[in-house]
Amino acid sequence: MALLSKALNAIGLLLLAHAVYSAHEHSALHAGAPSTSQAPSTTAALPLDITLETLTSVFLVCAGLVLGSPALRPIQWSEWAGEVEQEEGRQRQGRGKAGMKEGEGVGNPFRMLEERPGFVDVRAKRKEFADWVREGGSR
Amino acid sequence: MLDERELAIHPIVQESVQQNARTIANIRNLTASLFGVAAGTLGLESYPGFIFYLLGTLVVSVLILLLRAEGKPKAYFYSPVQNLLLGEVFGGLSSFVLTWTLFYGLVRA
Repeated sequence: MALLSKALNAIGLLLLAHAVYSAHEHSALHAGAPSTSQAPSTTAALPLDITLETLTSVFLVCAGLVLGSPALRPIQWSEWAGEVEQEEGRQRQGRGKAGMKEGEGVGNPFRMLEERPGFVDVRAKRKEFADWVREGGSR
Repeated sequence: MLDERELAIHPIVQESVQQNARTIANIRNLTASLFGVAAGTLGLESYPGFIFYLLGTLVVSVLILLLRAEGKPKAYFYSPVQNLLLGEVFGGLSSFVLTWTLFYGLVRA
């Protein structure tokens, strides 16, 4: 998802830069050449391809920005709490007690209750300690 | 009264509401200046420019609804019309006008 949004942004910005440059060149060209009939000729209308390119590029960048924005969070307490719990469970199974990703979640509001000493996963802690000893033994 | 009762039964997470509002405001601010670039390049003047901005924000709202809210605005916004459709539309207007005039002047020098 992140890659897609970045690619969309890059393509869109490139197209946008090209469109703006084209529009500038177009207006410069028409400002230099003397107009045929009416003397001042308020800058000839933009060619259709530049218009289309501008609109397409803006749409692409918008899509890229929306895709690249952080995910929305459910506001209903029940749904949100369910998501938080699942996240916590996944992390605990992965590796002991790992902090939430920074800026990713608000964290479990009941963590204080979940991690009372009586509920500490002793086996996970023991494994963690053993790993640490194995690694740190050489150091 | 009914509303209060409803909130007591299905409580709302304030932090999530704020986070969502911040995300929307961020997207709006970024896209507003982008629309300004487009409007200036296209050489829009007066009312068409503002109509272009309103249409653009509408498109962005639809994009958010489809890509981020998965078509369920009720789950992510307390009042979908107010927060998603109208949220921060006028906050981005100043940056829109800024880039609009800048690029209009740059392109039609």
